[in-house]
Amino acid sequence: MAATAAAKGNDKSASTVADPALTERLRLEVERAVQRGLKGFELLGAPPPAVGRTPKSVLLRRGTLELVHYHAMSDEVYRVPLLIVMAVTNKGYILDLAPGQSLVEFLLQRGYDVYMIDWHAPTDAERDLKIEDYVQGFIPECIRRVQQDSGEREVTLLGYCAGGMLSTIYQALHPKGPVKNLVCFTTPIDFSKMEIFRNMSDPKVFDVDKFVDSVGVVPADTVIAGFDALRPSSRLAGQIRLWDNLWNDQFVKGYRMMERWGNETLPVPGGYFRQTTKELMQRNALHEGTLRIGGRLVDLSKITVPLLHVIAQYDHIVPPECAHPLVERVASHDKQEIVLPGGHVSIAAGPNAVKRMWPALDSWLEERST
Amino acid sequence: MASSLFPDPLQLWREALTKLEGEVNALATGSTQSQEAVRSLHQLSSASQGVQQMVEKAIGAYLRRANLPSRKEMMELAQSLQRIEDKVDRLLPPQAPAVPRPARTRRPSGAAQMPTPAASAPPPIATPAPRSKRRAAPRAKG
Repeated sequence: MAATAAAKGNDKSASTVADPALTERLRLEVERAVQRGLKGFELLGAPPPAVGRTPKSVLLRRGTLELVHYHAMSDEVYRVPLLIVMAVTNKGYILDLAPGQSLVEFLLQRGYDVYMIDWHAPTDAERDLKIEDYVQGFIPECIRRVQQDSGEREVTLLGYCAGGMLSTIYQALHPKGPVKNLVCFTTPIDFSKMEIFRNMSDPKVFDVDKFVDSVGVVPADTVIAGFDALRPSSRLAGQIRLWDNLWNDQFVKGYRMMERWGNETLPVPGGYFRQTTKELMQRNALHEGTLRIGGRLVDLSKITVPLLHVIAQYDHIVPPECAHPLVERVASHDKQEIVLPGGHVSIAAGPNAVKRMWPALDSWLEERST
Repeated sequence: MASSLFPDPLQLWREALTKLEGEVNALATGSTQSQEAVRSLHQLSSASQGVQQMVEKAIGAYLRRANLPSRKEMMELAQSLQRIEDKVDRLLPPQAPAVPRPARTRRPSGAAQMPTPAASAPPPIATPAPRSKRRAAPRAKG
């Protein structure tokens, strides 16, 4: 306004008139520059941000597997317990970053009884773990433990990314099992649509057997490099944005929690890596209907339980076209796909998730959890 | 902030950063279409891994000479201790839950009683799957 008035008001050139907006901007930038300097020093000596602080009890811990039960936050809970299955490559605290930014806390407050299968770095003895071990060993064992702990036979299974893929494979192999509802977030089915990963795992340029035989357990650095390859400049751009926003405590806190989560990406058992590379990336066997787990064919049309699939519109890891076939293929009568604006992580954690995904999940779950 | 006669150079710089990031990402991901580029990437990765293994081997040899345990051996020891602790935990009699368990009798609340976040949330772009009509599965590439 002041600038417009100055422009209209007289014939003096802009250089000779003090521009209040410019003055204010300069003052703000100087203030931010000072704050950046002070807070930058603070940041150098700051401990890692606290994450995953919602109270919980460990029910099972063995090697790479951990099953936890979150303490209830309401006087009355829904009958059907909820078991979250995290992706093998990532820690589960992305769903429990901080109070107010935690899907787990939200679900507890909304009256759900929440359990989570979280993963630790696999030991050297676990280098040969395969999908079979997850869907025929770990998940059924954890469901039994949840049934025992909750006293309920039925369970809702909720899987995030590859955790959703494992949950889907489990359900296809155990269609008459105790799962009452299946919820998946950003779950890949048609791997031919993950073009970059597919190009990188092309057998003409990548000998997965040689690689796995040499490393045993695939190092976290390799997994991180694989994800970084999808957006190679984003890490550096993120660092520059962090510097730009150092004056903003909220930004820095959020950035550091996400950065910690990214840096704590887990190593992957070589057997699992070999199988996902050959069967899923190279042969696209889950989508083609040729995937065999423990000698049994994984047929998605065997799934008949109520299904909700939440897909991120701007997901660069699991693009929507890679995820759509899940709802198309299952035989459930009660099935729904929700595409929400957001990326692979921001769909589940962050301000947009709080506003969009969490309430949508709650309204779908509540009527199916009694 | 009031508008100014002058464009904000920092804002321009931020926009340029976002644009540059997008362009570099697109260029780099586009390069994965080329088998040669991907092969070079894998070669670089395996070379770096080879160097890392050599360094680890050299450090391991030094630690053996100095009669010190390596990080790997310490991790194995920690894992063994963890396994023993887990076995001891399993031998203990089951305890009553540390926190009281609420009744499992909750019923869904009406839409009018939904909490503020849900009530104020914008409607999601929901695409309910057709119940009778199924889309044909897209063909996989290659």
